[in-house]
Amino acid sequence: MAEETTVQEPLSRPNDTKREMLALVVGAAGWLVPGLGHALLKMWGRALICFLTVGVLVWVGAGMRGNLFTSRGNDAFDSLGYIADLGTGGFYWVAKSLETNGPDVSRADGDYGTRFLATAGVFNLLAALHAYEAARGRKA
Amino acid sequence: MTSPASAMFAALGLIAPIAVKLTHLQALVIFALVISVAFGFLGRRQPKERVKYILWTLLLFLLVGVGIGWAMYPFSR
Repeated sequence: MAEETTVQEPLSRPNDTKREMLALVVGAAGWLVPGLGHALLKMWGRALICFLTVGVLVWVGAGMRGNLFTSRGNDAFDSLGYIADLGTGGFYWVAKSLETNGPDVSRADGDYGTRFLATAGVFNLLAALHAYEAARGRKA
Repeated sequence: MTSPASAMFAALGLIAPIAVKLTHLQALVIFALVISVAFGFLGRRQPKERVKYILWTLLLFLLVGVGIGWAMYPFSR
């Protein structure tokens, strides 16, 4: 029995490491391009929904001239907003290119837009984490 | 300042800037709908379960949103 255990362990460990590495790649891909993590796992419906959700939220949020935070924030809330916005991955630059006139939070539209952009980022982080867990073999 | 990636997107004409004007209710409905559908697809596997989850989440989003709006009404003036 003891011999069986010593023989099986070295076989399973490289597989675990490989799977963990693959899961990290899937998670990172899902963060960089919304939906890509799920697409790599052949979860096409979820991939499409993630891409569209983040895309629509960013598009509408930027169209409403929401505040897209930068790394040069003045306080903790700006920094948190920046982290949330960065959650959109590549779509951060899409939002930047959409906001040609800059943010305008003097009206309710801009305030809503800020929330749309932050929600897009937080949702994408959640989706990337979901893809990561699915790649690790957890029930998803 | 425009980043190289932003400039590239703009130059390729891939993404057109838009001006979105929405009422409070329209913004709430769009937000609730998009997030409900996304949560439904991420959180449930079976189509029937997804539809139930989406409808239930959407209803709660709208009810809570409108409810909080009315709860704040006495303090708005």
